[in-house]
Amino acid sequence: MDIYREELLELYKNPHNKGAIKDPTVSVDEKNPYCGDEIELQLKIEKDVITEAKFDGPACMISVISSQMLTEHIVGKSLDEVRSITKKDLLAMVNINLSTSRVQCATLVLKALTKALEEYEQDSKDR
Amino acid sequence: MSFDVNKIRQDFPILNRKIDGKPLIYLDNAATSQKPQAVIDAIVAYYQTHNANIHRGIHTLSEEATQLYENTRKKTADFLGARKPEETIFTSGATAALNLVAFGWAVNYLEEGDIILTALSEHHSNLIPWQNVAERTGAKLAFFALTENGELTEEELKTKITEHVKLIVIAHISNVLGTIFPVKRICELAHAVGAKVVVDGAQAAPHMRVNVQSLGCDFYAFSAHKMLGPTGVGVLWGKMELLEPMEPTVFGGGMIDTVSPNCATWAEIPYRFEAGTPNIAGVVGLGAAIDYVQTIGMQNIEHHEQELTAHTLRQLTTIEGLRILGPKKAQARAGLVAFTVRGIHPHDISAVLNSAGIAVRSGHHCTMPLHKELEIPASTRASWYLYNTKEELDKLVEAINEAKKILR
Ligand SMILES: Cc1ncc(COP(=O)(O)O)c(C=O)c1O
Repeated sequence: MDIYREELLELYKNPHNKGAIKDPTVSVDEKNPYCGDEIELQLKIEKDVITEAKFDGPACMISVISSQMLTEHIVGKSLDEVRSITKKDLLAMVNINLSTSRVQCATLVLKALTKALEEYEQDSKDR
Repeated sequence: MSFDVNKIRQDFPILNRKIDGKPLIYLDNAATSQKPQAVIDAIVAYYQTHNANIHRGIHTLSEEATQLYENTRKKTADFLGARKPEETIFTSGATAALNLVAFGWAVNYLEEGDIILTALSEHHSNLIPWQNVAERTGAKLAFFALTENGELTEEELKTKITEHVKLIVIAHISNVLGTIFPVKRICELAHAVGAKVVVDGAQAAPHMRVNVQSLGCDFYAFSAHKMLGPTGVGVLWGKMELLEPMEPTVFGGGMIDTVSPNCATWAEIPYRFEAGTPNIAGVVGLGAAIDYVQTIGMQNIEHHEQELTAHTLRQLTTIEGLRILGPKKAQARAGLVAFTVRGIHPHDISAVLNSAGIAVRSGHHCTMPLHKELEIPASTRASWYLYNTKEELDKLVEAINEAKKILR
């Protein structure tokens, strides 16, 4: 089946960005209430540019692949560029034929990213 | 009557479906069951030849529709061993039935400081209404502690069922652990301290003989769609003396006796709890489903599932890294098994199984507190019914092993 293509399995088994950052600028948890999945996303932000991004959590294959792709994609990008990433953009990046319920798995990391950026802005204002 | 699973399978048109070119192996019966041709035919026949609104229609069709609807009430009452048909109320499902007891009866019955005793394994449908009832009345929720195998011990029952307990709400069968809870014993102990018992029978009524009188419970709820019937129909059975003080929670046509501009009086029980045009075709379908399972025999269904459960448990315990949730002994459980496999996310197991034509469910199965307690985000659940076979369950085991090969 499509989602068990070799290259995807490889990405799932060795996701480079899985883990934690030493001194993250922001760190958020996001949950998928439908399946109970949880993802932790950590970002390092310097001068409004994302310099490092990592994710962790007990996630399914789709969620891992999508998190890997998104974290890879945003490193080196400005916050403005990252803010403009839509669900559609992410699904195009992931490029797997997904059923409706599994679209939720793929987009969990994007929800986490939105939340992380909001927290970052809030923190910057508070400072 | 002898039980012939191959003959039974021919009654279910959907079992001829192919998924990705493979024969469908439907093991998601705890979510909803498939429907035999007899149920589909009954619904179609209702719309083709009898369709009308029920009650107070003088014309022939309305008479027929009313009769079909009320006959199903009698059948359902008999099916549950109720004393009278009037004790059986049609709702839109088990969830609606539990909400009706909660907000029609329990909010008036409970007082501040009373204890509502339940279990952490309850389906959200039998937990959240009670959280809300507790908030409204000032009653408190308390929880039975289950053993590691998801069972309730006699000792725990005796410890927790005290005189402050006014209400116990419990599933007859847990939709994740598969545990058959000792409802009869719970009712004995509850009644000894003056407490009432509401039973969520969503996973039990379709699979085993249920007699509300010998169980001794006060309310019993289930859904038609898990018992070969259509979606959108459920049943609340209650003891007449408790239905009498129960207040309607939905108001409108069909539930009144007399109406003046500023007030109204209620119709008799059960009509006062069935406001608006009910799901008549659905109720007719439930009637056909009850006929179907009774022709096969509830005891035969129970026996067949028990064989499948013993067979499946034996096989699953041989898979390295597989953790079975709930009782380890087949006799203590019903026809479902939820499990996790070390290192593989339940979603991925479901996806691999789906590519083998096998339908199972992965997630928290509407039991978040239980999954939290078990310290797992989700699980995979396979659940069987009268039309499933040993061969199908062998395929399940094969596919789980295959998933391990691909994903680990
Ligand atoms: C134990 C239990 N209770 C209640 C329900 C709710 O049933 P329904 O969704 O048909 O109202 C279910 C079904 O998922 C269940 O398994």
